[in-house]
Amino acid sequence: MRTRRAAVQLLAPAALVVAAGILGTFVSQATEIYFVTALISVSTVVAIYVFVGNSGVLSFGHISFFAVGVWAAGVLTIPEAEKPATMPYLFDFLGSTTVGNVPSLLIAAAVGGVFALLVGLPLMRLSGLAAGIATFAVLGITNNILRYYEKIGPGLNTFSSVPETTDLLQATAGAVLVIVAAFAYQRSRLGRQLRATREDPAAARAVGVSIYRQRLAAFALSGFLAGFAGGLYIHFIPINVDAVYLDLTFITLAMLVIGGTTSLWGAVVGALFVSALDSMLAEMEDGMTLLGRTIDLPSGSRIIVVSAVMAVVLILRPGGLTGGREFSLPKLRPAVAK
Amino acid sequence: MIASGLTDFLRDAVDLQVQVDAIGLGAIFALMAVGIGLVFGVMRLVNFAYGQLIMAGAFAIAFASDRDWPVGVGIALCFAVVLALSLAMERVVFRPLRGQSAAVMLIATFAVAFLLQSIALLWFGPLGKTASSLVQLNRPVEIGGLDVRKITIVTIVTAVVCLLLLVALLNRTSIGLHMRAAAIDSQTARLLGVRANLVSTVSVLIAGALAAVVAVMLTVQFPTVTPTFALQETILVLAGVVVGGMSRLLSATLGGFLIGYVSGLLGGALPSAQSQYLPSFIFGLVILVLLLRPDGLFTRGRGLVERV
Amino acid sequence: MSKLELVDLEVAYGSVAAVRGLSLTVEPGEIVGLIGPNGAGKSTTLHAIMGLIPARAGEIRVGDRSLRRRSPESIARSGVALVPEGRRLFAELSVEENLRLGLAARARSEGVAEDLAEVFELFPVCEEFRHRHAGALSGGQQQQVAIARALVAKPSILLLDEPSLGLAPTIVDLVFSTLGTIAERGIGVLLVEQRAQRTVALAARTHVLANGELRLTLTPDDAADTDRMVAAYLS
Repeated sequence: MRTRRAAVQLLAPAALVVAAGILGTFVSQATEIYFVTALISVSTVVAIYVFVGNSGVLSFGHISFFAVGVWAAGVLTIPEAEKPATMPYLFDFLGSTTVGNVPSLLIAAAVGGVFALLVGLPLMRLSGLAAGIATFAVLGITNNILRYYEKIGPGLNTFSSVPETTDLLQATAGAVLVIVAAFAYQRSRLGRQLRATREDPAAARAVGVSIYRQRLAAFALSGFLAGFAGGLYIHFIPINVDAVYLDLTFITLAMLVIGGTTSLWGAVVGALFVSALDSMLAEMEDGMTLLGRTIDLPSGSRIIVVSAVMAVVLILRPGGLTGGREFSLPKLRPAVAK
Repeated sequence: MIASGLTDFLRDAVDLQVQVDAIGLGAIFALMAVGIGLVFGVMRLVNFAYGQLIMAGAFAIAFASDRDWPVGVGIALCFAVVLALSLAMERVVFRPLRGQSAAVMLIATFAVAFLLQSIALLWFGPLGKTASSLVQLNRPVEIGGLDVRKITIVTIVTAVVCLLLLVALLNRTSIGLHMRAAAIDSQTARLLGVRANLVSTVSVLIAGALAAVVAVMLTVQFPTVTPTFALQETILVLAGVVVGGMSRLLSATLGGFLIGYVSGLLGGALPSAQSQYLPSFIFGLVILVLLLRPDGLFTRGRGLVERV
Repeated sequence: MSKLELVDLEVAYGSVAAVRGLSLTVEPGEIVGLIGPNGAGKSTTLHAIMGLIPARAGEIRVGDRSLRRRSPESIARSGVALVPEGRRLFAELSVEENLRLGLAARARSEGVAEDLAEVFELFPVCEEFRHRHAGALSGGQQQQVAIARALVAKPSILLLDEPSLGLAPTIVDLVFSTLGTIAERGIGVLLVEQRAQRTVALAARTHVLANGELRLTLTPDDAADTDRMVAAYLS
């Protein structure tokens, strides 16, 4: 019974993601872009969820790990001849090393994980407001350094010539892998201990759970997955340093909150729902016909709608669309009497 | 190399001109810190969207200036817009979230900040508008051999007056007493009959008034108003408030002043190439303070920062 | 002055009922005691009256007005004052400022000076330490300030949550005798206490609460036998 329920909790989000991937094959080239973006968002949001959802601690800093993943994968896969065009000051060893698609993703994940571990060592002692502010500061520092330290990347220039290896298949596979990793973690002893600290810190401490160590583990894993997602992203679209800063932080947090912060299902549903909403609004900004009427939204309406939805969710239904619960099949038997 | 750079810096920093401008910037940051600190103290809520209030006020001035309305009308419009927006935020977002965790409130104000910024982007476009009505205040007047911009004098005087008024309000009126009590222990305050809603509204209005004042003063120095107007400054002030100490109004204000003053010094005395990594240093300082002296540098005793 | 009435009060935390079927009245000028073991629901009852926790069922009335579903400040302004457990003074504010906070709940704004004078008379420490930080006072002095603060609001009902906790015997005597004076002025007093015997001796009626239910009511005649009777009924 327990294993069946667990299987359902894993299969539901994975199946949803695969379904999205399959659906993406039937649409036009232009629309396919929205699907790939949505799937990469799933990876990103699930990565953030691994820490925020399980620990109950807010982090504004996860896009830092995403960003270093972008940097690592991007710098290492641009063909050597093209590197000086956008990255003339690169360290020699970076300039002369080029790796393939999958190795770049692994390196991106590793860099994200290590960075998160280093950041987490001091920061995981903090909770609540302090954690939010400190992780925001990490985001600021990362953005500042990536922006000006031209020995490790393009600085203010846009990444270009990165091999575009993230297609629908890679994005879907990536999302499924991240979901499986997140699920494995939350079902493991580590994950359950961390969730216990979220529910009742005093009781958890009483049975010997180290809140600090559990959070650090989740933070590092979360950084690893976020770095991986960053790697997927740079293989999809050329970006510059400001694309991995406040706006992306906001939208990924919005996806998590709207879906439901405390469950994997919530993270996936939130990412897909908001991506779908965002894509539709993007189409409407370009002028689209719906039910025979032309809708032409002014550009920039998208963030307005998403932030308004996020605010409404926080105020009226803080558990998000999923109520913060994992997916479960409708009960076939009446509940056991108390 | 470093030594000569340092002496150059110090010599430039000690220059009275730079000092005065830095104090002026510190004064503006201090007012912003009060706005943020007051609402935090009473409602335990960090208003990430405070910068957007200032932006809205600045756009109001630009709007009026576009239509060649008299300066007074522009300022009045600024106050009207900022106060109305503050009240709306309090009723629609802050009040329903009262009692929720600090994290939820932080994300909520983050969402409001983005909402307001994107509305501004939609309405005014990324290039924004120009608010040219008060530009003459940006011209200097000679005082004792220094070219002091009129706006700097106005800023410092206004800041001092505002702070004195606030201190008088907090210490000598009953609403001020209620606000101080609510900041210490809001549940017990309510048990004594203190009206939580009234106290929240009053603090939000005062913070809004201060934001409007800041908007006026900033538009003199930076007449181009864009959707990201005051965003950098707000982030710096938040850093200053955390470093100074969020739980006490005085330490928060000092923190804000200090970061403004130091920014002014560095801006005036540091060549731009070396100030690239300045944000990292400031953010690094914030993290350091949160880890080592979470109640801030200017407070002593217990604060509100949770640790494990 | 109005009477306080609880009718079949039920208060729950989530699915756990902390108070069930509690009914009692406090007439103007009488002292009613509420005693019982820890966790019996005594504090919960006071918190429910003050609106800090919503009542699940039943009625809470002062005079003919219901207190249910109202905010704590609105209840305070209706003439119900609570002296909370642990006193909860504002330590960084002066004693006088603490007292002035008590004024927030007053129905009438005139007569403040006279009422302050009355309170100074009852509790001279308030005047003596008027300008000191409340946190600098001893436990017994703080307790007096806390009661004074509640009285300044001119309540018709005074609720006290374990006022004698941690106090020296002489101060306890002072507090208890002052409660008598307060009641004589027509205020209805609901006293939650750990000191069973003294409460039974003082109060017109003392209710014994256990596991959220009212089990026994004692009168001053039972004072000497309190512990035996309580033990007998609760076993």
